[in-house]
Amino acid sequence: MIYEAATGEDLLLAETNAETDEAVRLRRRDPATLTAAVARYQHRLYRYLLRLVHEPATADDLFQQTWLHVAGQIHRYDPSRSFDTWLFAIAHNAAMDLLRRRPGESLDDPDRGAPWAATEPATQPEALTLLITAERSAILAAEMAGLPALFREVLTLRFEEGMKLEEIAEVTRTPLSTVKSRVQRALEYLRRNLTARWRREDLI
Amino acid sequence: MTPHETIRPLLALSAAGLLDPEGERQVREHVRVCPECAAALGGLAALAAGLGALPSPKPPAALVARTQTRVAAQLAGRRDRRSGMLLALAGCACGWVVSLAAWSAWDALGANPALLIWLEFSTVLAGVTAAAVIRRRRRLERSLE
Repeated sequence: MIYEAATGEDLLLAETNAETDEAVRLRRRDPATLTAAVARYQHRLYRYLLRLVHEPATADDLFQQTWLHVAGQIHRYDPSRSFDTWLFAIAHNAAMDLLRRRPGESLDDPDRGAPWAATEPATQPEALTLLITAERSAILAAEMAGLPALFREVLTLRFEEGMKLEEIAEVTRTPLSTVKSRVQRALEYLRRNLTARWRREDLI
Repeated sequence: MTPHETIRPLLALSAAGLLDPEGERQVREHVRVCPECAAALGGLAALAAGLGALPSPKPPAALVARTQTRVAAQLAGRRDRRSGMLLALAGCACGWVVSLAAWSAWDALGANPALLIWLEFSTVLAGVTAAAVIRRRRRLERSLE
């Protein structure tokens, strides 16, 4: 048991040391380290950008723009902080700049009035539990795509990236209370819409 | 506000794992006695799990390769600019030393042909070095386009 605990601690320490070494190499602008980071973060960063902007061509542009910005500003990266958060904050800024110029896309905090704030109970919420299956993923993805960008962003950062509350607040540069409020309203809205949709389609 | 109304907005945060321990405790206690909230929490938890399991889009392989190339080129360009600047500074320092040395030698030796040949040679050498640096720089700029 003691041996297992010690091994676990050693692994954690080794992992932390490896991350610190990488951070130092990144700050030194080591090309191999940075191109390896591009490969390692490709899925996560591309998914985040695509969830925000929808179009693959735009996500491609933002993906490159983000990494070129990282290459140019890597000397400003503080190795004591998370590289993930720093990277996603740069991607967030690039995506928000683009969305701000896009007609019909609002980046104001979604109104606290209906439909985003309603929290009335679903009549058959337990049915939702049974229906979140792989075949319903497409419907869920479509409903998520219909949310305002600020809601899509917190959902993907929380549930797909697995970021903590503080990390999401750092990436989006918003207070913790705002992040909580966005997650709560987005989930409630999705739950209500999905239940109604599946009932309409006789899936419940 | 009833406990039910107080707890209700916390259900989504509980499903998202964003509640503090005290809030989590309140939710757990409430859902034990409130079937409606228990069912809502179950639905939200399933939704959270569904969001975490959405199909992940794959970036095009060409995009990743292109980005890596551009990132490497940008870093190389920055390094090249820095080394070019250092080279230019070193060249200035050398030129200054050569001028001083030539001045002293001219005073000491008078109009010596060997000294003139040496000055000519150093000028040609400096020119060739500058041409090599400019050529390298142009090649790099072409690769960035």
